[in-house]
Amino acid sequence: MTVQKVWSLFDRSQLYECYECSKCSGSCPVTLAGDFLGPRKILLKCLQHGSGRVIRDPLLWYCTTCQVCQDRCPQEINIPELLTGLRNKAAKIGNIPERVKFTVEKIAKTGRSVLGFKVERERKRYNLPPVVEISKEEISKILAETGFFKDLKIDH
Amino acid sequence: MALRYAFFPGCVIPAKYPHFESATRAIAKVLDMELVDLPFSCCPPTSNMKLVHYDSWLALAARNLCVAEEQELDILTTCTGCVSTLKEANYIMRQKPNRRRKINRILEKAGRHYEGTIEVFHLLDVLYDHIGLEAIEEKCIYDLNMKVASHYGCHLFRPSYIMYPEFLSPSHSYVPTSIDEITEVLGGEPVKYMRRFLCCGYPLGANVDEDASYEILREKLYYIKAAHAELIAVACASCFEQFELGQVMIKKKYKETYKLPTLYISQLIGLAMGIDNETLGLKEHIHKIKKLLPRLQERTGRMRATL
Ligand code: SF4
Ligand code: SF4
Repeated sequence: MTVQKVWSLFDRSQLYECYECSKCSGSCPVTLAGDFLGPRKILLKCLQHGSGRVIRDPLLWYCTTCQVCQDRCPQEINIPELLTGLRNKAAKIGNIPERVKFTVEKIAKTGRSVLGFKVERERKRYNLPPVVEISKEEISKILAETGFFKDLKIDH
Repeated sequence: MALRYAFFPGCVIPAKYPHFESATRAIAKVLDMELVDLPFSCCPPTSNMKLVHYDSWLALAARNLCVAEEQELDILTTCTGCVSTLKEANYIMRQKPNRRRKINRILEKAGRHYEGTIEVFHLLDVLYDHIGLEAIEEKCIYDLNMKVASHYGCHLFRPSYIMYPEFLSPSHSYVPTSIDEITEVLGGEPVKYMRRFLCCGYPLGANVDEDASYEILREKLYYIKAAHAELIAVACASCFEQFELGQVMIKKKYKETYKLPTLYISQLIGLAMGIDNETLGLKEHIHKIKKLLPRLQERTGRMRATL
């Protein structure tokens, strides 16, 4: 199985529905804070040049996934799905922030996103039961089937 | 009969904020809810796994749904990230036959299969819709008497066509009110502030750029302060972390001091119910709520709940 194509996660015909009103980018929190292109410009670039150039932009990863763009879009364009599709493709070509890669690899190998040596001791202080054990083998088995290790070139 | 749920505390709360879990279990006991612990894995988050490898995200989420379905239990989560992943995965597994078939084929290799018979709720939904505000109020022995700014967390309610399809406005949008309404029955004062539904910025900081994420937070804090709120109530461990650490970083960088205590919603309810400060873990916080505690005002004729 190969990684999803951008247009299998986002219906490409939605690109043509955009009014260019910029309600999305005006609402996007990240445009407050940095050089992130913002949803409207990303969409426009995809329309004009296809996804090839956009997926090389490291700033794609600035989107917080807050989804306010989709919520406010008068055309109900599912921009978060576009940004998900683009980043799936970006990750495959190696445009993936170190920290994101580190976290997903940890999830794949341990089944959890946060680990710690002191966890059980801290939990005991609050009379909490130990964190329920899960089968790491089951998690890896599922992810081997989805193509996770192969697509992201992570040893398995 | 006690309400029973498959308890999905997520990764962050059990490991980093066990006191949120202890507060949640304490109020669950007072409200006669049974929380069943099951072998759930990481949800996994929409802000990393889904962005990197969609099928892996959906397959792991669907595996968690299977674990609860096998016990015939609905899921109760305590984190907005978890509820967003699990509700969306549930939606896809029910509404998109092609994806369902594909994911079930993968899960079958691990001996599982998802039928789509369970529901996923955030603690807030359970408190608001299943337990009800009246039943919560009945168990409160104190009035909070504090001005509370709510921060719901984007993933609790967006995309609204998946998270709250039954409550959409004519423009197909939805914003929640549960924290504010709960604050009211606890005898607190919900504070309306500008940019209430703005993102806290957490995923941006966690994934790539903390400084940029604190810029977003700073805007929020500014309006929270302008509305004279005394504390912030959240329903998510990541939002909590952003408010708690973000205030420290913003002080360092911009010399702006907010000192707003941030409480997880179960801690706030626990305070009104008279649950002891150790169980609620209040001393773990950087921005202490201690100076607000004398505000608690006993309600006449109410008995302290015994744990
Ligand atoms: S809000 Fe929608 S229609 Fe307006 S610019 Fe953004 S994507 Fe286009
Ligand atoms: S989902 Fe991303 S692009 Fe859309 S408004 Fe939020 S941060 Fe901006």
